[in-house]
Amino acid sequence: MTEAITFTLDGREVAAAPGESIWQVAKREGTLIPHLCHKDATGYRSDGNCRACMVEIEGERVLAASCLREPQDGMVVNTQNERATKARKVVMELLVADQPERDVAHDSSSHLWAMADAQGVSESRFPKLEKERVPILDDSHVAMRVNLDACIHCNLCVRACREVQVNDVIGMAGRGHDAEIVFDMKDPMGQSTCVACGECVQACPTGALMPATALDDAQKGDSHAYDREVQSVCPYCGVGCQLSFKVREEDGVDKIAWVDGIEGPANESRLCVKGRFGFDYVAHPHRLTKPLIRRDDAPSKGLNVNPEHWRSHFREASWEEALEVAAAGLARLRDDRGTRVAGFGSAKCSNEEAYLFQKLIRQGFGHNNVDHCTRLCHASSVAALLENVGSGAVTATFNEIENADVAIMIGCNPTENHPVAATYFKQFAKRGGKLIVMDPRGQGLKRYASHMLQFRPGADVAMLNAIMHVIVEDGLYDRQYIEAMTEGFDEMREHLKGFSPEKMSELCGIDAAMLRDVAHTFARAEAGMIFWGMGISQHIHGTDNSRCLISLALMCGHVGRPGTGLHPLRGQNNVQGASDAGLIPMFLPDYQSVADDGVRSAFSEIWDSGDWSNQKGLTVVEIMHAIHDGDIQGMYILGENPAMSDPDVEHARAALAKLDHLVVQDIFLTETANYADVIFPASAWAEKTGTVTNTNRQVQMGRPAVAPPGEAKEDWWIVTQLARKLGLDWTYEHPSEVFAEMKRSMESLDNITWERLEAQNAVTYPSLSPEDPGQAIVFGDSFPRAEGRAKFTPASIVPPAESPDDEYPMIMTTGRQLEHWHTGSMTRRATVLDWAEPEANASLHPRTLRRLGVKPGEMIRIATRRGAIDIMARADRAVAEDMVFVPFAYVEAAANVLTNPQLDPYGKIPEFKYSACRVEKVPGQMMAAE
Amino acid sequence: MSPFDGPTNDDGVWKSGRGKGRRTPKGRQLDDEALAEVLVLLGDRPRRRDLLIEFLHLIQDSYGCLSAAHLRALAEEMRLAQAEVYEVATFYAHFDVVKEGEEAPPAITIRVCDSLSCELAGAQDLLETLGETYGGGGEVRVLRAPCMGRCATAPTLEIGHNHIDCATPEKVAEAIDAADFHAHVPEYERLAAYRAAGGYLELEALRGGARTPDQVQDALLESGLRGLGGAGFPSGRKWSFVRAEPGPRYLAVNGDEGEPGTFKDRHYLEREPHVFLEGMLIAAWAVEAETCFIYMRDEYPAVLEILAEEIKALEDAGIVAPGYIDLRRGAGAYICGEESAMIESIEGKRGLPRHRPPFVAKVGIFGRPTLVHNVETLYWVSKIARHGPELLNGHEKNGRKGLRSYSISGRVRDPGVKLLPAGSTIRDLIEACGGMAPGHEFKAYQPGGPSSGILPANMDDIPLDFDTLQPHGSFIGSAAVVVLSDQDRARDAALNMLRFFEDESCGQCTPCRVGCEKAVKLMQAERWNQEILQDLCETMVDASICGLGQAAPNPILLTMKHFPDEV
Repeated sequence: MTEAITFTLDGREVAAAPGESIWQVAKREGTLIPHLCHKDATGYRSDGNCRACMVEIEGERVLAASCLREPQDGMVVNTQNERATKARKVVMELLVADQPERDVAHDSSSHLWAMADAQGVSESRFPKLEKERVPILDDSHVAMRVNLDACIHCNLCVRACREVQVNDVIGMAGRGHDAEIVFDMKDPMGQSTCVACGECVQACPTGALMPATALDDAQKGDSHAYDREVQSVCPYCGVGCQLSFKVREEDGVDKIAWVDGIEGPANESRLCVKGRFGFDYVAHPHRLTKPLIRRDDAPSKGLNVNPEHWRSHFREASWEEALEVAAAGLARLRDDRGTRVAGFGSAKCSNEEAYLFQKLIRQGFGHNNVDHCTRLCHASSVAALLENVGSGAVTATFNEIENADVAIMIGCNPTENHPVAATYFKQFAKRGGKLIVMDPRGQGLKRYASHMLQFRPGADVAMLNAIMHVIVEDGLYDRQYIEAMTEGFDEMREHLKGFSPEKMSELCGIDAAMLRDVAHTFARAEAGMIFWGMGISQHIHGTDNSRCLISLALMCGHVGRPGTGLHPLRGQNNVQGASDAGLIPMFLPDYQSVADDGVRSAFSEIWDSGDWSNQKGLTVVEIMHAIHDGDIQGMYILGENPAMSDPDVEHARAALAKLDHLVVQDIFLTETANYADVIFPASAWAEKTGTVTNTNRQVQMGRPAVAPPGEAKEDWWIVTQLARKLGLDWTYEHPSEVFAEMKRSMESLDNITWERLEAQNAVTYPSLSPEDPGQAIVFGDSFPRAEGRAKFTPASIVPPAESPDDEYPMIMTTGRQLEHWHTGSMTRRATVLDWAEPEANASLHPRTLRRLGVKPGEMIRIATRRGAIDIMARADRAVAEDMVFVPFAYVEAAANVLTNPQLDPYGKIPEFKYSACRVEKVPGQMMAAE
Repeated sequence: MSPFDGPTNDDGVWKSGRGKGRRTPKGRQLDDEALAEVLVLLGDRPRRRDLLIEFLHLIQDSYGCLSAAHLRALAEEMRLAQAEVYEVATFYAHFDVVKEGEEAPPAITIRVCDSLSCELAGAQDLLETLGETYGGGGEVRVLRAPCMGRCATAPTLEIGHNHIDCATPEKVAEAIDAADFHAHVPEYERLAAYRAAGGYLELEALRGGARTPDQVQDALLESGLRGLGGAGFPSGRKWSFVRAEPGPRYLAVNGDEGEPGTFKDRHYLEREPHVFLEGMLIAAWAVEAETCFIYMRDEYPAVLEILAEEIKALEDAGIVAPGYIDLRRGAGAYICGEESAMIESIEGKRGLPRHRPPFVAKVGIFGRPTLVHNVETLYWVSKIARHGPELLNGHEKNGRKGLRSYSISGRVRDPGVKLLPAGSTIRDLIEACGGMAPGHEFKAYQPGGPSSGILPANMDDIPLDFDTLQPHGSFIGSAAVVVLSDQDRARDAALNMLRFFEDESCGQCTPCRVGCEKAVKLMQAERWNQEILQDLCETMVDASICGLGQAAPNPILLTMKHFPDEV
């Protein structure tokens, strides 16, 4: 550590740490030097362009920008003398000259005006810019308003877009007084490549960029015009961004006016389009506000209920009656034979709710038929991690990429699915980190990749084994690490002999030279990380895919040190927490086996209940089969939507229709609720209290911003009431009581208390003391396995469950799009997100479309052995020419009608990523005008 | 929009956005044809970011403009964002970005210089006449442009790359009729002739170890050679700073001679390019530069041709390795004469000056230590290395040592580059130009480009050298002297200068960007509001990032001081 610097600031001797700017020291010493282009926030580089923060350094000819200048020993700095004060005031006056009048300002509480006020500048003596040179409104984007008449060219939005979020849309074009902020090539914002992360809006100090909801029709606004702020967590993906709801009362009702990012450990104030602009679904008229019971005269069960006009199928009921009917139906099946009931909990609810749900099934029904959507996403990754590392969670936070020099991204598309994590990945690449992207699609990270491997879908094991083959053959492995920390390397080495790059090249479609280069690059790295997503896990060989990644990291010693680690990017906001809480059929909380009598007896003690089945329960897809087989007749589904999310979804829907008794708990009348006998109206995330655990193992506090509509209730309350109706003696009155109970059986929560989370918002587990913010990296010393060693498990090539043939010559893969969350129930009801992606679409390469005689925008029919859908064709060069990409959020063209329900034998995860399909133009359509 | 816009039948398909969706991913899509065209132009050139401006030139030269489709394709090929390409393309005046639905510019562009000397010689009338003749939207367009370094033959203009000196509408018509749009390369000393006269022997000797870099550096210090781009930093000391930094190091030649009124670099390059090139290679030898970048302004197409040819000749002769000298072409931006802005431009970016510290000797091109020299400075490096420091320090006048290449224009009889003792006064300069132009009486002068402002005729006894003008609120800069007469108004000249700065400000910092724009407005008033202008000038001087904004107020301040009755 370099020594502190001593200098004179306004006549006083002060100390500065190396790297600190004069501005920062002055602020620490109690002097706020005016600033505009300098944003006092994590991740923003000082640029020194506005010259609002000038100070005098004795002996220098001109003034210096204090935000940029670092003090030196003996320097004499004057911030308050006449020369500096005057220069700062004139700069402010120059900028104020061309601002819209304050009483019609786009943001009357802008940072600019605050700084002007602080210097007593309210008007300007300078002539105004010619009217014809004043920029006009760009309202082409539904989420944001661009009023560049207030722009002061501070370029914070450029830095926000290019350096912080690395979305690279905003630029400063032109020169001099005619320089201007542009989107792409001066395109309207709404027609540009803007992904609407809104970072620019958050950074803008003038109101030139504002959330549309903060402005009136005359473009007048006020960024302080909210009643209160609630700090919480984003409900969408596993990144777990912390955010601040700005709540304003409108017509007597509290509404979320807009959202800002705050300084969470994972997001450092960044958000994506969903987290910032995707919240008005909570106020959508489709919200369920009363418990509903299926009418006696309802039509037979099917996907036949309009969420707006449901009265032909359901009637409103009191909570008392609905709980009674729900419980009675489930109890009847339980009393007949316990295993006739199964439950799907949700990775979208809190830890406490996940815990209660699994407890309800286990304690209330005596078996383990409880699962949730982890089965459809990372179950295979978790299986492989538990098997070989001894823990299903990530070994390092994604933010650790800051310390890495090489990172592999395989089968994940973070720019769309984990957008805020992607910002760190892109920053890593921009800093010179080597980003190795492996994906059949030329996805968003391609432009930043040092190595882009667009391999044949399903050829993961061939490709990864070839890379490991090179590492072994070329002696690049970390012998010391392998000897000290692992087992099974000799078998692995033997196994890999057959996988030379030359042999595997044809299978995976990647040059042998490239495979060798990747092997050398990763193995020789000081610190390497591996990130993966559903492209790895959603295969019948998903567990094998993950095994390969684990072996690759282990043989290079890339685990347990800064900048190293294994990180399956978790999908749902609380899929980590829900799994940790035991919402899975084979494990109790903290992955304690249900087959272990000691474990069960410990829980029986905590729960004050009898023992229950020591058999692993059924998984999501197995439960659907069991319904068809008549083994399961009743279900309680909380916040899951299998009628959209299950593979071969017509089969799943038929199963749901077959149930005797289905209780659904959700915020909307989902496709699954179509089949319900009782529907409980639940609260949205922004309406509830609870903790969630993100992909980084960070346990974070969620707080309610607004009240649930009508009689809707928080999920933990509903589960508790239902449990009581089922005869359980549950008395929880607040999630904190549930959390306290969880701590009794979950070591992972040691040192993490409700009070601590209330105070600190987030703690990473494991946390080693009440003061420890938590361990970003784990397994530096040993693994939670026998002898503390991680294990190499060789994987062989398993072909996809079906291969393209003459009838189904193309390959269909499924996934998400940036704006839509999973089955679309939330995001398709969010104005901005629906605006951005209103229509079901399938992406194909333009050449493929030409070959099929289809123009972009026309309807195509995609058929697999399971079914067919009609969907709009989108031309997208990122997709390989023999592939189709179909997002699964759209009920009108549900991708899962097509997907293959074949399962990975270990993780029981279906092969969503690979179906043989046929694509043809839907005949007889008229093209809408361009 | 209705919250429910799906089908209203009773089935559970509650939503359909049929016909509303995007047919492509977001934003402008790649056009295959445009990509193919860009690939042909780029050939096997490395897709390095620093070559972006070179690539933009390739497209502009071939297609007469930069279409959005080509820019999109270029961005794709270079793995850059559209905005990154667009902002560079729109920063430089010589690129014409044409978006979808916009018309490409006419095939022939006439750029009429409207900087001070040309304005004195009637540039505005010329612009107006040509505008009337060709402004009808035909094959020709007429644009104003800043100084082209041909002030001795004002007014001047450029048709394509053909410069017309002492331009008239008739000469323009002749050139258009003859389709004469290419640069006219003058006769100059080629490699063979230069070598025959002993050229490059000194370089070879130095490379062979005849003297150490320290010895040559000492000779430079002894000669008194200072940076002739305008800053006047002792050249030898610059070498020692750069040499003190760990390698790799670069050398960059600032050939962006944009200070209006300056044409000395062009003068030497169009006559004796190898004197300069040898000087450059000696400096590169001294600092062990990895590469020599020559940043040459696009306004000097003949020089660009000469240098391209002679660099090739040097490569062929084995004097330099192929690629060692990297000739870069500016694209019409005065600010790129500022050394750190030039470095940004060499890196393929907009020419935004960098903050100092750090200085370019420490952190220059690609973040490496960089020796930046003006063209003429290197010309003298070569001469001093060969002939000794006396070549300069042997001259003394008015207590000043050395020689200056004054670029003299305006109301004098015989304007041009005059090599005179560094202690010469404006009277000496006028005399060297054969006196004032007929019918003109000496009234005022710009001693070193618009940045130096305007001094009155009664300040005629000041040696025009480094350091001598500072006490008077001015400086010699690049020694671009423009002489004004009784027929000219200082305030008009000052306004011309501020208009130039307004156009050429990079726009990065508030005092310069907004300050120049406000100053022009304030200076157009019948009577200047001197209090506001004074405040503005002080802030521009004190708070601008670079020399442009810091010096731009000089014409205002000196006009208010010396010509109070005009304002």
